[in-house]
Amino acid sequence: MINKLKLDKVLMKVEKPARYIGMEKNSYKKDLNKVNVKFAFSFPDVYEVGMSHLGLQIIYNLINSVESFACERVFAPWVDMEREMRKEGIPLYSLESKEEVKNFDFLGFTLQYEMSYTNILNILDLSHIPFNSKDRDESFPIIIAGGSCAYNPEPLANFFDLFVIGEGEEVILELLNLYDELKKGPYSKDSFLMEASKIEGVYVPKFYNVSYNEDGTINEMYPLVANLPKVINKRYVIDLDRMYTPDKLIVPYIDTVHDRIALELFRGCTRGCRFCQAGILYRPIREKSVENLVKISENLVNNTGYDSISLMSLSSCDYSQLLLLTKELMRKYEDKKIGLSLPSLRLDSFSIDILKEIEKVRKSGLTFAPEAGSQRLRDVINKGVTEDDLVNAVTYAFEEGWSRVKLYFMIGLPTETDEDIMGIKDLAYLVKDIFFNRPNEERKGNFKVTASASCFVPKPFTPFQWYGQDTIDEFLRKIYMVKNSIKDKKVVFNYHDADLSYIEAIFARGDRRLSDLLVNAWRKGCKFDGWSDLFRYDLWLEALEESNIDGSFYANRTRDINEVLPWDFINSGVSKEFLIREYKNAIDGKTTDDCRNGCRACGITDCSMRGAYN
Amino acid sequence: MIIRAKFTKRNYLKYLSHLDLMRLFQRSFSTIQMPIKYSEGFNPHPKFSIANPLSLGLESECEYMDIDITEHIDIDDFIKEINMVLPEDIQITKAICLEKGESISSVLSWAYYEIKVDLNQEESVESLEESISKWLKKEEVLITRLKKKGKNKVPTEINIVPLLGNITIKGLDENNYIVINALLRTGEGGNLKPVQLMEAMSRDLNLNLDLDSLLIKRIALYAEKDKNIYCPL
Repeated sequence: MINKLKLDKVLMKVEKPARYIGMEKNSYKKDLNKVNVKFAFSFPDVYEVGMSHLGLQIIYNLINSVESFACERVFAPWVDMEREMRKEGIPLYSLESKEEVKNFDFLGFTLQYEMSYTNILNILDLSHIPFNSKDRDESFPIIIAGGSCAYNPEPLANFFDLFVIGEGEEVILELLNLYDELKKGPYSKDSFLMEASKIEGVYVPKFYNVSYNEDGTINEMYPLVANLPKVINKRYVIDLDRMYTPDKLIVPYIDTVHDRIALELFRGCTRGCRFCQAGILYRPIREKSVENLVKISENLVNNTGYDSISLMSLSSCDYSQLLLLTKELMRKYEDKKIGLSLPSLRLDSFSIDILKEIEKVRKSGLTFAPEAGSQRLRDVINKGVTEDDLVNAVTYAFEEGWSRVKLYFMIGLPTETDEDIMGIKDLAYLVKDIFFNRPNEERKGNFKVTASASCFVPKPFTPFQWYGQDTIDEFLRKIYMVKNSIKDKKVVFNYHDADLSYIEAIFARGDRRLSDLLVNAWRKGCKFDGWSDLFRYDLWLEALEESNIDGSFYANRTRDINEVLPWDFINSGVSKEFLIREYKNAIDGKTTDDCRNGCRACGITDCSMRGAYN
Repeated sequence: MIIRAKFTKRNYLKYLSHLDLMRLFQRSFSTIQMPIKYSEGFNPHPKFSIANPLSLGLESECEYMDIDITEHIDIDDFIKEINMVLPEDIQITKAICLEKGESISSVLSWAYYEIKVDLNQEESVESLEESISKWLKKEEVLITRLKKKGKNKVPTEINIVPLLGNITIKGLDENNYIVINALLRTGEGGNLKPVQLMEAMSRDLNLNLDLDSLLIKRIALYAEKDKNIYCPL
């Protein structure tokens, strides 16, 4: 345990000290001396962000549901806290027992976005744990990672002892049980890693080596130990209704990003948007039953005291029993003043009807994501919405009393022209015209349309994984083209940081050779890179130069279809042939229909869509 | 009807801000389905208020709260139920039901604190006690406070002696921190924060106290009537 008097001194000086105290409702407090396996779970960002992550709540409750295991939380201390901790010599500690991270058996990170990678190093440093797995002896925790970014683990390969590829609900207990078993005999870390690598979905990077071609591309990745698989298959839970689902959530004292019940309806998505990584990684589509969801919601409402339930999924309106579910939930909770919300909306009237039903009280803003400005480009990315859909949806929304609309777009998409870009402005103006073309007396509220553009980052396991990102100059040219053309106070144009997206693209499609870059960037002071006010592009440029790494090789280069990609040794379940086919369809502007309307042969087995529709 | 309740705020939960504390109570009241009164208006919120909110980082054995309710409830059941859902370090220790009355914050006028601080030097408790008691006999101890004047904040000197009640030195605790008990004015008739007292003391007596190490606990809040100090609950 860390020194409480020192901690008190520090907590008096920092902003929002409640980030660092734990003790929340439904958090566990086990005696660490009385458990067999101590697991520290880290979301490498600040508390308010990490506590909004459903995956943390699931894994935390799952591990703690086993009596002889303990899971405690670790977040990235904000810059003020880090400064004070270093000054007082307080090592990073877990929120529950205030125990040094170094004293846990495992330290597990969830990798949700690339721009959190420097925070991982910072957390290791604050915990006095060496970065490289080869420098850590048996006295240090086993450092593991999972989450969606683990599908390209290579940029972090030097730091981690093992990665879990895919969903963690089953693997995590298999790993901890294995450790628990082996600890009873003559234990060594290597013997654990060797046994762990036999578990499906587990990747131990130090057992593999990579050779390169003269042009810098990968020649081959090969196991260094006999009998290791050349391909790591992702893990996923087949039946979500039988999967472990927590009946309680930790309820933070302070306001967090997502401060309500997250009710997960299903995993996977059938739409097949070609830029979307989650849409591939979480296949096949698997729904929870209405009966089960109602039961889960009941437990969560009773155990948390939250007054709001968010129906979460990649595309919640696609839940096949949505109408039935919302009716059931409304009937149950209306009297208790518990509200429902849908975080992801599609541009169809069905979605609006549901929204109307559940958001009877508050009429806040509406958000739509056409993603691209022209129909041609929306076809390229296979975002199956039309201008008519948008017109219908906003017309309907204005009739129902909404007055603020947000539109999300991406720039830098494959085959994009200046005309497509200007379509962003056109759509925003169209929404404005629809509002003001309505009779004066029917216009309600203070109209505003916000168009937000993010810079496209090609991601592994998508049909666009080969495509080179626009250069920063090209992004800025396109951004200013739109920005300068908008001269209306009711139309707001926001855009994301192009520099940040460039660094993100380097790591998203990076390989093992990026480890030094990450360490150099961290040494220079890079952390919380996902926070645009703390992101230091100048330091990243210096780090790239000193590490002798050409960022454009990773970010801007369009890769050959035959090139060995750093993540090719991972099997996401979706075949490479399917991705190639979809890439070609994209370039040809051909759309691929929702796989609820017929199987597209993506390579996934065990898919219910296949049985139901083919 | 009003429920007047006394509660604790201990250990690490002293780092909850007033707003966080309000949210915690709101959630807890709704969990036990308490018949709490809601304000009128566009965005109705439950009607309850905490008197003389603590500064962030202070523990307390005795905070007060008034809760407006729409129907009579059994006080013992209420205490039992709410303490089940509240955290261990924030518990209701006593509560009564009032028909109507003065608001709790208007009644409170004295706060009693336990102050612990790391004495950065080798000084005996006795000599410290002596110098402090000498200091307390002064007629005027000035501190500077920022006072609002229109839009600006202007530094103003005030004499804190009238804001002081009994101050006693209890000795050293297990961490070798010196323990001081202080009764200080609070509320509308004047207010002195324990930190301000310690700053002034450290300054005037050249004590070189490590003010970063201050550990402060509010032990009691009192009302005053005809020069008599009493517990309002």
